[in-house]
Amino acid sequence: MYVAAHLHCLPPTAYYLLASAFISPWFFWAGLVAVSIPIAVHLLNRRRFKTVKWAAMEYLLQAMRKNRRRLKFEQWLLLAVRCALLLLIGLALARPLGCENNTLASLAGQRNGLHVFVIDNSYSMAYEAERPGARTHLDQARLIAKGMMDRLVRGGESVVILTAGAPAAAVIGKPTYSLDACHGAIDGIEQSYGATDLAGALARATDIARGESRQPNKFFYLITDGTRSAFEGSSAEALKAAGRDLQSAFGDAEHVHVFNLGRQNQWNQAIVDLKPAGNIITTKFSADFTAVARGFGAGPDAILQWQIDEKDVPGNATLKLDASTPPVMLANRPLKEGGPHVVTANLAGDDRLRIDNGRHRVINVASEIPVLIVDGDRSNQGLSGSSAFLAEALLPSKREVDSGPSRSSSAFTPRVIGDQDLGEREVLSQYRAVILTNVGRLPENVADQLQVYVEQGGVLALFMGPKVDGDEYNRVLLGGKRQLLPGKLIEKISASAVNKDAFYFDFKPEADLSTYLSVFKGESNSGLGTARVFQYWRLSVANPTTERVLNYLPAGQNLASPAASQQNDSAEDPAITVHAAGKGRVIFFSTTANADWMSFSGKPMYPVLIQELFSGSISAGDAWMNINVGDSVEVPTSLGMTAAPTLVDSGKRDVPVFAVSAAEKQTVYRSQPLRRPGVYRLSTGNQTYPIAVNLPPEEADVRTIPDPAIRKALGDLGYTVHEDQVPAEALVANTGRDLGWSIMFAVLLLAAFECFVAMRFGHYRRNVAQSALTA
Amino acid sequence: MSETTTDYRKYLEPRTLARIASLDLRARLVVEGLMSGMHRSPYQGISVEFAQHRQYVPGDDIRHVDWKVFGRSDKIYLKQYQEETNLQLVLVVDASESMGFGSVTAGSHSWTKYDHATAIAASLAYMAIQQQDSVGLAIFDQVLSRYFKPSNAPAQWKLVVQELQQVPRWNKTNTGKILDQIAERLTHRSLVVILSDFFDDLDSIKKGLRHMRYRKHEVMMFQVLDPQEVEFPFEEVTLFKGLEELGELLTEPRSLREGYLEQLRLSTEQLRKTCRGMQIDLQRMNSGDSLDVALSAFLANRAASIK
Repeated sequence: MYVAAHLHCLPPTAYYLLASAFISPWFFWAGLVAVSIPIAVHLLNRRRFKTVKWAAMEYLLQAMRKNRRRLKFEQWLLLAVRCALLLLIGLALARPLGCENNTLASLAGQRNGLHVFVIDNSYSMAYEAERPGARTHLDQARLIAKGMMDRLVRGGESVVILTAGAPAAAVIGKPTYSLDACHGAIDGIEQSYGATDLAGALARATDIARGESRQPNKFFYLITDGTRSAFEGSSAEALKAAGRDLQSAFGDAEHVHVFNLGRQNQWNQAIVDLKPAGNIITTKFSADFTAVARGFGAGPDAILQWQIDEKDVPGNATLKLDASTPPVMLANRPLKEGGPHVVTANLAGDDRLRIDNGRHRVINVASEIPVLIVDGDRSNQGLSGSSAFLAEALLPSKREVDSGPSRSSSAFTPRVIGDQDLGEREVLSQYRAVILTNVGRLPENVADQLQVYVEQGGVLALFMGPKVDGDEYNRVLLGGKRQLLPGKLIEKISASAVNKDAFYFDFKPEADLSTYLSVFKGESNSGLGTARVFQYWRLSVANPTTERVLNYLPAGQNLASPAASQQNDSAEDPAITVHAAGKGRVIFFSTTANADWMSFSGKPMYPVLIQELFSGSISAGDAWMNINVGDSVEVPTSLGMTAAPTLVDSGKRDVPVFAVSAAEKQTVYRSQPLRRPGVYRLSTGNQTYPIAVNLPPEEADVRTIPDPAIRKALGDLGYTVHEDQVPAEALVANTGRDLGWSIMFAVLLLAAFECFVAMRFGHYRRNVAQSALTA
Repeated sequence: MSETTTDYRKYLEPRTLARIASLDLRARLVVEGLMSGMHRSPYQGISVEFAQHRQYVPGDDIRHVDWKVFGRSDKIYLKQYQEETNLQLVLVVDASESMGFGSVTAGSHSWTKYDHATAIAASLAYMAIQQQDSVGLAIFDQVLSRYFKPSNAPAQWKLVVQELQQVPRWNKTNTGKILDQIAERLTHRSLVVILSDFFDDLDSIKKGLRHMRYRKHEVMMFQVLDPQEVEFPFEEVTLFKGLEELGELLTEPRSLREGYLEQLRLSTEQLRKTCRGMQIDLQRMNSGDSLDVALSAFLANRAASIK
């Protein structure tokens, strides 16, 4: 009993290895222990002996000298036979289940076959259906699976257990004949908080069935709640293909069984999205948040409640929820403290799937947004330098810009340096954006720093100017693995060179605009359409992630020209582009930042354009703090940790964080995948960061789909449909044998051999001798 | 067979004799037991001095029928003679340490090979004394510790018994050398009866016997072995401590039994072969067996030699 009780303390791999090899694995351990008995007896006998004074010693010594080797051989042989005998007895009682291909086990059983169970443990299976003895769908799925297994033949039929919660996983991945182990494994299946990965589970089941080619009969059981999200999600096509493969691997409908636990009238309400309205939140302005609440199925009204940092905030709203309820906004929430904050939206409802009634969002509130401007032509005289207009645009000193379309501009705190100061003296990671304006040459080491900076999430903006050397830029910014330009600079285009007075931006306020220009939507007086550009660098866009924010009209055209609308965008030179590099972005501005080559820098909307470009590009820096169930937390290296990070979940339980090696010999800290939703806390020594872990929104739709739809979703899979109970008819007769008897036969043979050997070696002659004496 | 006869025969059993402390008594009982079990034609000696007539009974030797009396009376009578012999019997008893081994017990009394040998020796001495023969005694281990010249004086019997009852010193043995010494000391042809286990160097024994035979002595050998030495019945792991300083051996005796018995058989066979070559009668005695085997063998030997 002790051994059996502690068998579960073994590492899972060892446990299932044993469980898959024996019906009663603890007897195997007992056999191993019993092997020591003959050895112990042998050793004890050597210690406990009787003493006899002996006259015929010479004959004894002669016999010993002549037979020493034979005696040793006999003793070792007997010891080995006896140890093997006990081991085999243990093995027989443990009832081993055959060799790798299970042929022996199949022969031993009167019936044989492979049974693959796929149990959906996605979070929709936590739906509380309140069946007798089973609170949730998953509880009922466990009962059904165990009920079906009880009808299998021990030793003849093998079992594989998979789960369909994303990602699909194997609970018992190799066929096992130990039904007791299967029961234990089913009881050990945990409720997942992830989405459904039916396609993955079916594919694994198919692979296993194909790998067991010697099994004459294969059966497949899918126990699921039949929700829309599971069958009609983004993996619908993969699911169809997996269903067709499954049919070919397992056979006709008699071999494929689907248990649909879903109830037709089940309903659920959930918060499926929560985010701030803007990209960057600062302490200087109030923030807006939007929550998307949905109701799936016919449910009552629900109350949406808001919390910030676990404190209730006004703004509760009573909602009538359906599958298309519009987002609800929490507006004008001032956040006076910088740093991370947790915004929570909860639904106070009475549905049967409560774990998705709340959602968290960590926001990184900035008190200021530092920006570094590197000026290749720095001057202290008014606005004559290349950076002067940029600094003014980012932090207006005289004009009121709050009345403009953007409200976040004043959060920028630009710092201007000369290009000779850029290098090792500046720690780029302390800036949210770095702007190079009219910088002539860039050393390789600076380019490397910039590449790392951008890859780690920084924003680099490149403004052209007279000092820019195109070939040098191409060599340095695109050399190696650097992606700091959207493509090669081809040539510097001058309007006068083509006998034109100026170039114009292709800006149409009523057309579809880039998200960076969305504030100019409908603004015909923004000045963008009439801005004159005298020179710019022509660029050949090569980076596939490049977004053209603004193009030039072909030479000689402006918005007044009727031909403009007929121009093909691809023929237009890009004026402003944004492309991704790692986690950051690069803004390319093809002309000068000041008035040298462009007239727009003097217009009132110039600061707005600049602010919008940076507001849209600069990351809020909170993405790593907002993850879904199943993801890992990866701690950014720019955090400036003073200690190895530690992570605790909402219940204060430690979650392991591992140091892993990343590129550039950097050490990155990454947690194990987080399995439960909630707000975790990451401590880096000097700072604690909240981590919001949310459920995948698509799984909230618990509405069931009819059987024909399931069949179609599974690629017209032929199967036998069952409801939420074990079918009454016995699928198979409960008779059979395992290999225990075969081994026991071997035990008897070995015991006979031991008797023969012992007799042969004279171990059983004493009684005969004594009786001869006493006769 | 009468009850008296039965009572006497039980004294041939070592387990009975072990309870009797007096060797004198042991010997008398043994001889009486033997005689009472024999045919009623006791050995009356091979003499010419007439003693008496007795009626013939079937089985008697017809050479002793008195034909004159038959002619006169038509009845068959045998002539019996008073025994008169010049036999000189020398009993050589091994008192080395190995003879002290004994596994036969009767209650708290143990019966060693030496006990068995001395019982035989005393019985033979008694029989010889009864027949007016001379009896000598030699007790040896490494050395010839006690030696008494043969004599037929009535006191000789007491002397022999007294010496045999002495507890030996349990030393090592040197049989060959002792036989040499005894052969040198005996001036007349004698019947030398050697009682030993012969756990000794066979070449040395051979040499001693050859010396004996060279001196024309008749030799009888009784090899006395314990039942355990013959059967080797040990089963559990045993530490064998060799007597006569032969070291010790810890072993599992079950597996060694066959080899041991083979060695014993080879040794006995060699000894027997040696004896056969020198016309020496070798009788193997088991100290657990009845003593009449030894005495019968002795009498048969005597009868054969007289013929």
